[in-house]
Amino acid sequence: MQLRWGAVAVAVSIVALAGRARAQVAEFDTAHAVFYEAPTRTHMFVYSPSADVQASPWTWLDVRGGWEADVVSGASVKTKAGAAYAATHSPDVVTTASVHDFRNLGRGEFTAKGDTTSLTAGYAYGTENDYRSHSLHVSGRTDVFQHNSQFELSYARNFDSICDRVQSASAAGPTRWAALENSTECFASAAGRTTHAIAIDTYEASWTQSWTPIFATQLTYSAQLVDGFQSDPYRSVILGEGVQAQEHEPSERAREALTARVAWYLRALKGALRMAIRGYHDTWAIDSGSLEVEGEKSLGEALRMALRGRLYRQKGALFWSDDYTGGAPPLGPKGQYWTGDRELSPLFSWLVGLRVVWTVAPAQGRLFGFMQSLKLAASGHVSSYSYDEYTLGGVPVSNAFAYVGTLSLNAAF
Amino acid sequence: MNTKMRGGERVGGRSFQSPCLLVFVFLSLLSGCATVAPERRAILADPTMQFNGEAKHDAPLRHAIDNREGSMGGTGVSGGGCGCN
Repeated sequence: MQLRWGAVAVAVSIVALAGRARAQVAEFDTAHAVFYEAPTRTHMFVYSPSADVQASPWTWLDVRGGWEADVVSGASVKTKAGAAYAATHSPDVVTTASVHDFRNLGRGEFTAKGDTTSLTAGYAYGTENDYRSHSLHVSGRTDVFQHNSQFELSYARNFDSICDRVQSASAAGPTRWAALENSTECFASAAGRTTHAIAIDTYEASWTQSWTPIFATQLTYSAQLVDGFQSDPYRSVILGEGVQAQEHEPSERAREALTARVAWYLRALKGALRMAIRGYHDTWAIDSGSLEVEGEKSLGEALRMALRGRLYRQKGALFWSDDYTGGAPPLGPKGQYWTGDRELSPLFSWLVGLRVVWTVAPAQGRLFGFMQSLKLAASGHVSSYSYDEYTLGGVPVSNAFAYVGTLSLNAAF
Repeated sequence: MNTKMRGGERVGGRSFQSPCLLVFVFLSLLSGCATVAPERRAILADPTMQFNGEAKHDAPLRHAIDNREGSMGGTGVSGGGCGCN
């Protein structure tokens, strides 16, 4: 409720600021997305609405405020075991737990603009039943060589915290720690609950370059340092006969990625071809690469249609194992850490999708008497995930499909 | 970046800075050679040529992808919340 009133206050402030300006432009954005995935047993469904307002009370200043949410329902794996354990135990060694969560996030941001430079700073506050996040971000951008080169530096700092249970004093170490049962009484100073801090520093530098009237490139380097509790507190992993422990991952992780993009306009098609290739590495030994191709074509003055395809491949984390109880490699224990996180396992995925954008911007006058322009967009994407090693109790999970559909509206006043 | 002080001198800093400086100078010179005159930038300003032209519309898709993979990067630094179910 507090967050909702905060968002209303930000929106009212922005509208008030806009009202004082003489030649301001105000914008309103809203997007609504649904995500559904159907690998064995989870059936995760997420509805994500968002709304943002932006005003430019002076030519040198943009002010933005917004809200977004995730309404989550489905199931997640509560206890993870693999093929070696399943061979000698009941086949139903993987249990799932229903998940219902409601993530809320409020954000505010301003950008001070000059002829060739801009500075942006913002803050976001997010809440979930079991997670709190305070995030600050700043960025600076400059255009040089007649706006043909743009350089941007960004930094964000998250001060997050996650709920966990208080472990029994008799628990000798991580192998005896129990998983969190549910989020009841999280962040309520209850005797059986505690929180762990997570600090996240994210850095990004990008260089965008126009080379010819129809060809541009962008190079982006991203780095992130994560320090704190990074496991899923609800998940247990079977480590041996009678040994089932809360997931235990390293508390530090350094991540970096390099992304190269090109955009090439094809006059014959009245459209552009965009490609992106990204390489990624982190200190948990996950290496990955992705290739993304988009073709977007204008269909008349108002309509654009984009087709998108993406391929992604990653290696597993150094401490990833589908079964820590034993078995032939790659199964077996992997040192002092254990996880049941399928996102840390070696996997391959592909994605295809279509996006349609319809824009109305009258050259003279205003739309409905008050709007400068109106933009409606719709998209649908389907992706498939194939896991090399990840199983549910020894049963392979392949071709797990996920679907994302999004509708959005942008109005400028 | 190793900038540990030893006997009043910076150790290791120069070896890191030199290649970075060279790369920066190289990129600056390279980009300076390729300028498109303002009157020829119409197509570069076309919505189909923007790298993040529909960023707000695509944000939920990026969020879903990030939470289903073990990697990150290349799509901005702002954030807040986990949303990792």
